[in-house]
Amino acid sequence: MSTNHTRADLTLRLGAAAGDGIQSAGEIMMKTLSRSGAYVTTYNGNQSLIRGGHVWFHIHAGEIPVYSLGYGIDYLIALTQLAYDEHYGEVNSGGVVIYDSSQVKAHDFPNGVKSIDAPLVKIALKYDKRPIMKNTVALGLLGGLLGLKFDVIANTIGEQFAKKPDVRESNVAAAREGYTFAEQHAPETMKRIKFNYAVKRSIMHADYAVALGAVNAGCRFYAAYPMSPASPIVHWMTANARELGIRVFLGEDEIGVVNATIGASFAGARAMCATSGGGFSLMQEAIGQAAMTETPLVVVDVMRAGPSTGLPTKTSQGDLNMVLGISHDDFPRAIIAPRSPEDAYYLAGRAFNLAERYQIPVIILLDFAIGDGGYATIDELDFNTPIDRGKLVREVTKDMTNGVWFKRYSLTEDGVSPRALPGTSGAMYVAKTDEHDEWGHDLSDVEAGLKTAIHMREKQHVKRMSKLKGVASEMRPPELYGPDRADLTLVSWGSSALPIREAIPVLKSSGFSVNSLEFFDIFPLSADAHSMLAGASRLLNVEQNITAQFAKYLRRETGIEIKENLLKYNGEPIYPAEVVDAVKNALKHEEMEQLA
Amino acid sequence: MRRWSNLLSLKLYESDVKPDWCPGCGDFGVLAALKNALATLQIPPERVQISSGIGCSSNLPGYIRTFGHHGLHGRPVPVATGIKMANPDMVVIVTAGDGDEYGIGFNHLVHAARRNHDIKVIVMNNEIYGLTTGQLSPTSEKGQRTKTSPDGSIIYPLNPLTTLLGAGATFVARGFSGDPKQLSSLIQEAIKHRGFALIDTLSPCVTWHDIYDKVRAKMYKLEGTAHDSSDLISAYRLALESDRIPLGLFYRTEDRPSFEELMSEDVTSTYPVDNARNLTAEQIASVMARFS
Repeated sequence: MSTNHTRADLTLRLGAAAGDGIQSAGEIMMKTLSRSGAYVTTYNGNQSLIRGGHVWFHIHAGEIPVYSLGYGIDYLIALTQLAYDEHYGEVNSGGVVIYDSSQVKAHDFPNGVKSIDAPLVKIALKYDKRPIMKNTVALGLLGGLLGLKFDVIANTIGEQFAKKPDVRESNVAAAREGYTFAEQHAPETMKRIKFNYAVKRSIMHADYAVALGAVNAGCRFYAAYPMSPASPIVHWMTANARELGIRVFLGEDEIGVVNATIGASFAGARAMCATSGGGFSLMQEAIGQAAMTETPLVVVDVMRAGPSTGLPTKTSQGDLNMVLGISHDDFPRAIIAPRSPEDAYYLAGRAFNLAERYQIPVIILLDFAIGDGGYATIDELDFNTPIDRGKLVREVTKDMTNGVWFKRYSLTEDGVSPRALPGTSGAMYVAKTDEHDEWGHDLSDVEAGLKTAIHMREKQHVKRMSKLKGVASEMRPPELYGPDRADLTLVSWGSSALPIREAIPVLKSSGFSVNSLEFFDIFPLSADAHSMLAGASRLLNVEQNITAQFAKYLRRETGIEIKENLLKYNGEPIYPAEVVDAVKNALKHEEMEQLA
Repeated sequence: MRRWSNLLSLKLYESDVKPDWCPGCGDFGVLAALKNALATLQIPPERVQISSGIGCSSNLPGYIRTFGHHGLHGRPVPVATGIKMANPDMVVIVTAGDGDEYGIGFNHLVHAARRNHDIKVIVMNNEIYGLTTGQLSPTSEKGQRTKTSPDGSIIYPLNPLTTLLGAGATFVARGFSGDPKQLSSLIQEAIKHRGFALIDTLSPCVTWHDIYDKVRAKMYKLEGTAHDSSDLISAYRLALESDRIPLGLFYRTEDRPSFEELMSEDVTSTYPVDNARNLTAEQIASVMARFS
């Protein structure tokens, strides 16, 4: 049990068995709150199964922007005994537990927690032979407790069942009974926030955001093989294929997927594929292929807890080492890690420009917590995404050919050679995975080991790697969150920035001076990263893997060793309270050292 | 019909790179037949895309002046698939070996056939891994002596024709590099075919596994026989023949549309290569409505 530190926010958790419709109820509540002017983030505590087990849906809503799961639980709906047993201990003082005593035996009731025993099943049975609408009744009840307008809830439910008018009406009626029950049985005081029905906020998770960002940047070829938690991307792409003109390829495996994406990009499309760690492992060889043939490639890895099959529906940031060293020998690549869905939208658009400008693979690292697992409010998006296709040759001039072949791998200052697309008259060339000369001819067979080939190998290898200079000049330094100067600077990459944002104000109110450096352009590292890290009085690294992969990478690149870490690797996202504790422990420990 | 020698057009496909194949290698015949087929069909070089894997035969793209993608071992089929989906105006051909297509990349081949992608796969089948100096391949015969089967292979070979017929391939043929004229006409038929085509091409490796004599002794042409290439059962029966080697078109059906046709008709007729642009205001409004 803890106390909710921030005033103008609420944390809601809905727990049940898979198949009870808790995700659906959670999403309806999330949308309702967004349409009532609230900022929202969610987390989907689902399991790798379709029916049974235990799943939960967490919503953090606020009058002010919210970033992660917030602190504790203000409202818990426990539809099953397991949901009660698993979560009642996290309910905040002043919070409310909603359950149905015909299903759930309440026990060890926490101090200061209120309870509502509601006949959810009995009400649900009025509308169907099976109590399948108990989630809807609970949803209506929760809406009533929060003081939401019922019309907004009813409209959102209506949309959910737009294609089934009968079900729609009975669900709305069931929700209304829950709502009315709440009005009659609400405790006298409850934590609430103000709603503003004039403001409607958009909400998406990073899987959708990365898809939208890609398509708006001109991506019209998408390939995938089903894998959690990347599958929502392919679902979105297929659902929008007709309207937006996207060709979607569901390959036979991830090797086929990435090679088809490379083929489409080679042909001149803006193309993307996505997977999670296991699928990415299969794609390794082809990532090196794209770098060697200098074919632009954008690949998304929505990280989940590994190794191997690991925890398919749980979160992790454990794939950094893999992508830093993916595929054999050295080649240029860029790695970016959006912190939030909104970031994912913008960075996806940028990824295509980087990939085409430098003709390299660009890897986007998302994770379950902000991908399939978590929605967040997004501000109004800028859709004027610049599209820079780099050195793309539409018409071949004499200096580009020898009359037979196009000089595809010409040696240039910046390492980037003019590229022509299949179909361009007089621009024939062979994209080569073998080491090659400027014309794309093999250096690997009859010329291998000859002096000219040795020199050309060096030149081509250096040419490819020299692109990293250009990429590095475009990489952005970490963003500072919090005050300019602080006693302790938290370091994070990707989505780990979010719980830190919610920890900093709480730490400040307890007298701790803390700020944070949020990295999102990961490789190559921005030149400013070193001075920003070196300027901090003390560093604490926060990430979600067991070996502090990012801290070790920073040490390799900058020589700066971060000795203190908050590492979480149990599959659950980082809670702001954990950051608060880690900082307090670190700074208290320091005080004690000074006293001694 | 155009004449066999069409020198003017053939010249357009000439590379300035000399093949590194052993003298007498079957792959020379395949290269000649492919050039001839393209010239005969009058397809300009810039409209042709050849995707290959790794091995002696996969060096082919550099020896013919068209667009080429000399990719990874076993992966030329998905690369070709991506190219064809992105730009259906290209004539997309795969040239690879039995290791590429019947071994490491077999999964891709079977599924490309099933989906009926409009790509033409020419497998130079020499029943051995040549460039890696002679190991057992998926099509090596039982009893064949190689570096990895010094006492003779204990494994029965894969039959690519029955397997691909079973996978739903809409065009299945067998050619022989020793007969480039027949091979050229099979390639032409494959290019004209509506959808996926496999031409299993016996292309002997004179260094590690010379099967010229075996093929010549056992071969016969299907042209002029009573075989009806629209008859799947009859095609199966022929594909199972082992005492003789039938050459020619085993099976062809155009009853099924190609993947690309279905994509254009049922999903979107716009090509990804023509469409690297921002969404329209209308599209944005429609998409964003679902996120609020």
